[in-house]
Amino acid sequence: MNEKPIVSLRQARTNKSKFYLYTIVFILSAIYIIGLFTTPFSVSGSAASPLDTLRRIFIVPLTDMEYIVQFPVYIGYMIETVAIAYAGVTVATILAVPVAFLAARNVTKRYSYVGKALLNAIRAVPELIFAIIFVAAVGIGPYAGVLAISINSIGMLGKLYAEVIESIDQSNVDAIKASGGNRIQAMWYGVLPQVLPEFSSYSIYRFEIDVRASTVLGIVGAGGIGAPLILATYQRSWEDVGMILIVVVVFVSLIDLISGKIRKRLV
Amino acid sequence: MIEFKNVSLKYPNGHQGLKNINLKINDGEFVVIVGMSGAGKSSLIRSINRMVTPTEGKILVDDQDIITFNEKKLRKLRTEVGMIFQSYNLVKRMSVLRNVLAGRLGHTGTIRSMLGLFPQKDIQFALDNLDRVSIHEKAYTRADQLSGGQQQRVSIARVLTQQPKVILADEPVASLDPPTSHKVMKDLKRVSREDNLTTIVNLHFIDMAQEYADRIIGLRDGEVVFDGPIDQVTEKTFEEIYGRPIKEDDLLGGDDD
Amino acid sequence: MPNSENINPTPRKRHPVTPKGLKWSLGTSLLIVIVLYILSVYQTTAFPNRVVDGFPIIFNFVVDDLWPPNWSYFDRVAMSLLETWNMALFSSTFAALIALPMSFLAASNINRNAYFYQFIRNFLNLLRTIPEIILAVLFVAVVGIGAVSGILALTVFSIGILAKLISETVEAVDPGPLEAIRASGGNVFQVISFGVMPQILPQYASYSLYVLEINVKASVVLGFVGAGGIGLILNQQLSLFNYDNVSTIIIVLFLTITIIDLISNRLRGRLE
Repeated sequence: MNEKPIVSLRQARTNKSKFYLYTIVFILSAIYIIGLFTTPFSVSGSAASPLDTLRRIFIVPLTDMEYIVQFPVYIGYMIETVAIAYAGVTVATILAVPVAFLAARNVTKRYSYVGKALLNAIRAVPELIFAIIFVAAVGIGPYAGVLAISINSIGMLGKLYAEVIESIDQSNVDAIKASGGNRIQAMWYGVLPQVLPEFSSYSIYRFEIDVRASTVLGIVGAGGIGAPLILATYQRSWEDVGMILIVVVVFVSLIDLISGKIRKRLV
Repeated sequence: MIEFKNVSLKYPNGHQGLKNINLKINDGEFVVIVGMSGAGKSSLIRSINRMVTPTEGKILVDDQDIITFNEKKLRKLRTEVGMIFQSYNLVKRMSVLRNVLAGRLGHTGTIRSMLGLFPQKDIQFALDNLDRVSIHEKAYTRADQLSGGQQQRVSIARVLTQQPKVILADEPVASLDPPTSHKVMKDLKRVSREDNLTTIVNLHFIDMAQEYADRIIGLRDGEVVFDGPIDQVTEKTFEEIYGRPIKEDDLLGGDDD
Repeated sequence: MPNSENINPTPRKRHPVTPKGLKWSLGTSLLIVIVLYILSVYQTTAFPNRVVDGFPIIFNFVVDDLWPPNWSYFDRVAMSLLETWNMALFSSTFAALIALPMSFLAASNINRNAYFYQFIRNFLNLLRTIPEIILAVLFVAVVGIGAVSGILALTVFSIGILAKLISETVEAVDPGPLEAIRASGGNVFQVISFGVMPQILPQYASYSLYVLEINVKASVVLGFVGAGGIGLILNQQLSLFNYDNVSTIIIVLFLTITIIDLISNRLRGRLE
């Protein structure tokens, strides 16, 4: 029997693909090596034993009457948090519509990049930074939080809305124009019915995100449950951290559940 | 030898897939199962490698009742019973060669196979099998760049690489045009003859069944209504199996050579 | 439409354009939306006129306050920024490694045990309800102040997101190849590595990059509770009212995130 040549599972690499492969491997290893050397991996630990801390976070708030009676306080903060998210996302929904039309390729043609660039710039700013700016300008309170949430949500909603507008079926619009409708009628009867369910679905989805985002804002004074959270953290009052955690998880789960149901019915 | 003893299959939704089937299929036979869609052809074929599990009766493969097989024995059985699907079931983003080697998985250790460390003789064997269905030169091409007929031949090569004793083919040419269908069936018939494999094929075109089968089994509403060698089969037989006169749609036609 | 009234001045029976039931449900939904908005507005004192007044603040801030930043502070910012990037990089890497096996357990076409599948799903849902700041507080409480708590918090945070996205991809793969491998006697690991992995690899890489983007933004928050990164100096400078240093941080952060998003979007575009 004659010897057969060794076969590989892969086709032999060309020089070009070899070059690409080595470059990628080099860049990736450089990134990780720099990361390994510049991150302080030391663990300081805390004075208290971790087990005791965990007990204070997860068990004491649910078993000790002294803490259980305080839940209404944090529920109040959480309601404020949800209100910030709701007011913010409502404002954002209204304002995102014109921005989205500005950024849609089939509406503004080659000028759509202006709207797109604006939306990209907004999305590159974390909501906490917006909150810092607004707190500095209008003072501490949930009003600054609403402003931060709405501008931040415009960034995402505008982008998603623009994609919906870009994917609409032009034939409906043409049909209305062909039967003598004007531009506004074409918009009202041809475009809106197509985009409205998706717009609302995205807004509800964004509301879910904003409830989570609003829990953070309080750490810079923009209202909501973040304020007592940061206070409790500084005071090492783990029982309060535990209560806040429970309230947040319950509220967020409920809101996700309800909004998920609504979104399913919409689409 | 494959033996069905009083086999019935009732699906959870209440649909009766098979009704009291009794059959004996000898080693090396090329059997074609015909019947209208929904007659239970697929249920019958898939019972043999337990892709579906009958609710009553016994199926003996080499005198062992496979209905009682546990997970481990089942995997052993499936390495010995190869299967060809209507929609080829290749991983589209993977090369043809890797797809063919997927037939060796039952013979290869988990870790080895996950790392892609197949023995050199397996790779060689896979290439030889690609050669047998004459698409050797496509070994490194991605599966989704092949035509339907080529993809089905890759899946024949995959089954051969499994070194089975039995091949099950579930509507292997239903997604192909007539000339390609004949090429694929010819390949299937040839390799099963060369390796002396028991082959069981579902077809719904009666002219194809007549051309390639040694023996025909007719199913209607989950029951065997005909079983006999090909020389006993006439157009009348098919009318009995289908329960109605033969129509143009039941014929594939198109064999040019 | 005044014309239609002229054509048919006395309609005997009104034929509504929208059926009554639909009108009712649409009207009720709209009413609920508006009532909730009014309640939220009173709770937050964000009345519409104040919102209109509020938005120009961003513009004024960019024009008047952001410029000129204190460039001499740049070195300190760069150090913190590197830490933030490293935290995002390591947490995304760990999350990608851990989320992969979890996503197979959370995919109904791989994990055939209905109860175990539901358990993993619920666990992941629970994980995603916890905001990153609370995770950071938890890890700081247990592990102590520093980048390690930040990495752990972000890892847990992104496992929730990533495992959900990947498991949805796994559930959407072409079932044919999985059936073929099962039929030829492959075990569950072989089904995954030969049937599933080749199909999901591009999305897996793409989602991991997406999580990296999210983590860079999320890690800004962590410094406020002592979990390392750029939030630490941001918190310091804010409490000292050093707004020129704050604006340096904001500018550098904005540019970094823009660049990372740009590169990651390019890479993800090529992956699909």
